[in-house]
Amino acid sequence: MDLSVLITKLSEGMLVSVEIFSLTLLFSLPLGLLVAFGRMARNVVLRNAIKVYISIMRGTPLVLQLMVVYYGPYFIFNINMPRSYRFVAVIIGFALNYAAYFAEIYRGGIESIPAGQHEAAKLLGYSRSQTFIRIILPQVIKRILPSVTNEIITLIKDTSLAYVISVPEMFKEAKAIASAQSNMVPYVGAGIFYYVFNYLVAFIMEWIEKRFSYFR
Amino acid sequence: MKRITAIILVLLLMLSAAACSKGSKVTGTVVEGTLTVGFDQEFPPMGFVDDNGEFAGFDLDLAAEVAKRLDLKLELQPIAWDSKDFELESKNIDCIWNGFTINEREDSYTWTDPYMANTQVFVVRADSGISSLADLAGKTVMVQSDSSAEKALGKRTDLVESFGELLTAADYNSALMDLESGAVDAVAMDNIVASYHIEKKGAGFAILNEELAAEDYGVGFLLGNEALRDKVQAALEEMAKDGTLAKISNEWFGKDITTIGK
Repeated sequence: MDLSVLITKLSEGMLVSVEIFSLTLLFSLPLGLLVAFGRMARNVVLRNAIKVYISIMRGTPLVLQLMVVYYGPYFIFNINMPRSYRFVAVIIGFALNYAAYFAEIYRGGIESIPAGQHEAAKLLGYSRSQTFIRIILPQVIKRILPSVTNEIITLIKDTSLAYVISVPEMFKEAKAIASAQSNMVPYVGAGIFYYVFNYLVAFIMEWIEKRFSYFR
Repeated sequence: MKRITAIILVLLLMLSAAACSKGSKVTGTVVEGTLTVGFDQEFPPMGFVDDNGEFAGFDLDLAAEVAKRLDLKLELQPIAWDSKDFELESKNIDCIWNGFTINEREDSYTWTDPYMANTQVFVVRADSGISSLADLAGKTVMVQSDSSAEKALGKRTDLVESFGELLTAADYNSALMDLESGAVDAVAMDNIVASYHIEKKGAGFAILNEELAAEDYGVGFLLGNEALRDKVQAALEEMAKDGTLAKISNEWFGKDITTIGK
């Protein structure tokens, strides 16, 4: 196999990996915030429901969750899903899983802000939502960025787990080519692709961290 | 808090709206007018990614010819081999067509007649000095998990007991990498695939003359889907009669090794 064909195939797989990565972030970052609010809610039922959710998402392997999301509709509810559901299932599985992790990072950030700030804002006449958006959130974002970067980098490598429900992401492509060519070159190629992708993401996150380094 | 509950409800609704039912089943296929073939894309020469980066293989060529004769569009769906039953039962694919061994699985699928014969063999390093099953005593042997070679070994407990150790690998390619690196002494696998691999790689590996088991390849459908099976079976018989089957076999193996209609 020509090197150019190998690179083309890996790039096609990479594109799928990047899609999984971007869509997961797009859904899980906001969803995580909602989950974090639920986790801190005064309503006991909601708070405990969210606690159970987070506990399940963090307590079971992502591979298993992906299989449940993909095969569940048929085997549990007997619903036939359209062909395109394979990819949708990956996004749902990843978003639900990562939202749980992001929620706990958000909660840690939000609870680290001294209660005095809430009281001061209340005295100054800020409403609860104004307090959160204008005072708390900007401080939370910069505090949690290093932890979020950690999760994001893990996510890039986790995209390879989509192979369990046969989504042609990069690692699956690399394995297929390696077995057809019976050599290790595709794996080396896959490693380089992942590393470059991670390097770019880490670089961007570092830049964002610098942008948020106010109040220091 | 009501607002948050409402948002969560809306999200759940969106998720469930993604669920809708599939097209009708006049032809017995899961998608009207399409034959969806599930295969393991790591299984050369039956189904794999070729030098141009396209899906290729003996079985896929057969499937393409059958689909043409049945006036169906062919869709190739690579699957994770461990999940083949889930894929079939949840109606994501019509059949498994991928050097699929009938033996020991007779009652789990609705099968066509066997279209070719295969043997399970042991692959060793050419310079290892192992030349018979007796030489495997005390050696480390590897087999792909959930493969027919593993099933065949399960029936030869005397042989397995003579091994030093029996390990399982996720796929046969990593087993062969272990063999090449010296981590294991022999790999039990399909003869057809082993031969392809040795040819591709050149010297270094050898196949023991003594076989582990003989078996047949067939096309597997969801249990009870006789309607589609009969159509595919008829097309295969027609191809055997007019020589197309022999022609495709010649292209891949240099001889006619098909068994249907003989």
